Amino acid sequence: MSAIARLLDSGLGPSRRLRVLAASGQLGYGIPERAFRAGLARKPHFIGCDMGSIDVGPYYLGSGQLATSERITRRDLRLVLHGALAADVPLIIGTAGTAGAAPHLERTLGLIRSIAMEDGLTFRLATIQADMPRELLKRRISENRTRPLGPIEPLSEPIVDRASNIVAQMGVGAFLRAIDEAPDVIVAGRACDTAVFAALPQRLGYPVAAAMHMAKIIECTSLCCVPGGRDAILATLSGDRFVVESMNPGQAATPLSVAAHSLYEQADPLTVHEPEGTLHLEGARFEALDDRRTTVYGAMFEPASVPTVKVEGAEWCGERAVLAAGSADPRVMENVDAIVESVRATVQEFFPAEDGADFQLIFHMYGHGGVSLFPRVMDGNTSELLFLVECIAEDKDQAHAVISVTKQYLLHHGFPGRLSTGGNIAFPFTPAELPGGTAYRFSIHHLVESDPSDELFGVQAGEVH
Amino acid sequence: MRLIDVARVVRSKNAGPLQLTIDLVFPDDSTFERARRSPALTPEAVAHVYGVDPVTVKVIEFGVANAIKIVMNRPIIAGSPGDSDVYGAQQHRPLLDVIL
Repeated sequence: MSAIARLLDSGLGPSRRLRVLAASGQLGYGIPERAFRAGLARKPHFIGCDMGSIDVGPYYLGSGQLATSERITRRDLRLVLHGALAADVPLIIGTAGTAGAAPHLERTLGLIRSIAMEDGLTFRLATIQADMPRELLKRRISENRTRPLGPIEPLSEPIVDRASNIVAQMGVGAFLRAIDEAPDVIVAGRACDTAVFAALPQRLGYPVAAAMHMAKIIECTSLCCVPGGRDAILATLSGDRFVVESMNPGQAATPLSVAAHSLYEQADPLTVHEPEGTLHLEGARFEALDDRRTTVYGAMFEPASVPTVKVEGAEWCGERAVLAAGSADPRVMENVDAIVESVRATVQEFFPAEDGADFQLIFHMYGHGGVSLFPRVMDGNTSELLFLVECIAEDKDQAHAVISVTKQYLLHHGFPGRLSTGGNIAFPFTPAELPGGTAYRFSIHHLVESDPSDELFGVQAGEVH
Repeated sequence: MRLIDVARVVRSKNAGPLQLTIDLVFPDDSTFERARRSPALTPEAVAHVYGVDPVTVKVIEFGVANAIKIVMNRPIIAGSPGDSDVYGAQQHRPLLDVIL
């Protein structure tokens, strides 16, 4: 009997306590082992891990690469696989391989299979795809059933064609279908963090609002504690309420810290939008059980009248080359804006647009407002300046050519009042020009209406030996 | 009093790649009360500090955590060429000097 079959057969339900261990908010960056083991000692009924994030930027979705290193990803997967299989409890992993598209899922499954082979593990595995079929997305565009999730261009067919990977974010429903396959381990592509932790409780009959609110709080593990951390957290769900407790004795889940977590990376702390509906937190209550544990209850769940999925896509922008150089010269600093504009104009002459050699040259001026996304008035109090210059061009050679010409003209640019005629900038290393890899951008971040007949989130199950 | 001297947390972060959220968490009810009544933290005042259109700024109170949340559009989609803060984690600076 598989771990999920045993759990479903155990008679567990809302009148009994369900212990959920959240092992990682981003698997692959190093799961703290001591707290994970402390969590296992509490005999959880299942273990959940989130493996993804959109924060790291469009490169990973676009390129199919993982943001985490293979070595630590393998180490973390090994830790949670052994932990779950030894305890014979289900393991659920969401947003495999950072972005959860087919290449990310495939690489994660490759690591899992190789660990299983090396360590002689056998188990039943269910996987859930998250790639958005392009034809379906185009149909929704023509039906006018998509909308942007903020300031981004409305969807169109060319945008769909240009994207290198497109994923839809699955909710609880896709996990429930995987649960029906009675596996030991579920590995999902792009998924809502909450669905990873809310699906099994819902399948066992626990109230949706409590399961969802619990999932929302524990998906970042002990980040909701003081001090916040990355250690495993245990939630104990019972009826319409749950208790959260960090598995690191030095981290306390207090009513204030748990309540404040609702703010984190959310545009609205009182409403959480999920594919199946909206979680309302106005009535949520947070009460101290003791100085390290907090009881939570009172959230409401409103099912969606029209189910939607969030769709994410990234497209190729070009190849990047980077130049890093500093200056300590006050005359350079006084004239920096004019210097940059002159150098830009000179570089442009070497790479005329009529050659079809399109490129972007971007100056990040640290010590001169380089961090700010918004226009800032500089106070002129800086003592050093960093020119971090990037070129994004059609290919690597072109990007390198542009950045190396930029380097030389920046070094020797003459301007009125110049004293340091040996060179305007200091290079920290040689070569000063670095290849910067491929540049992508998020081209799709839209909500798409979904129908029950949509063939989304396909589940496959089989044995791993 | 300046925000930097009274707030317990002033943090910025993306809320998805299209939006930026700034959380101000205060140490006690009285400081929170002062902050929520302050004319320096209205959408218009915050928009002025950042040089953006006030209709794109939301200010949300979250009393249960003594917190105020500000939500703005990112001027550029996170991670696109020309971005300067992929996580949006360093955009709180202009608020630190605001006088409540």
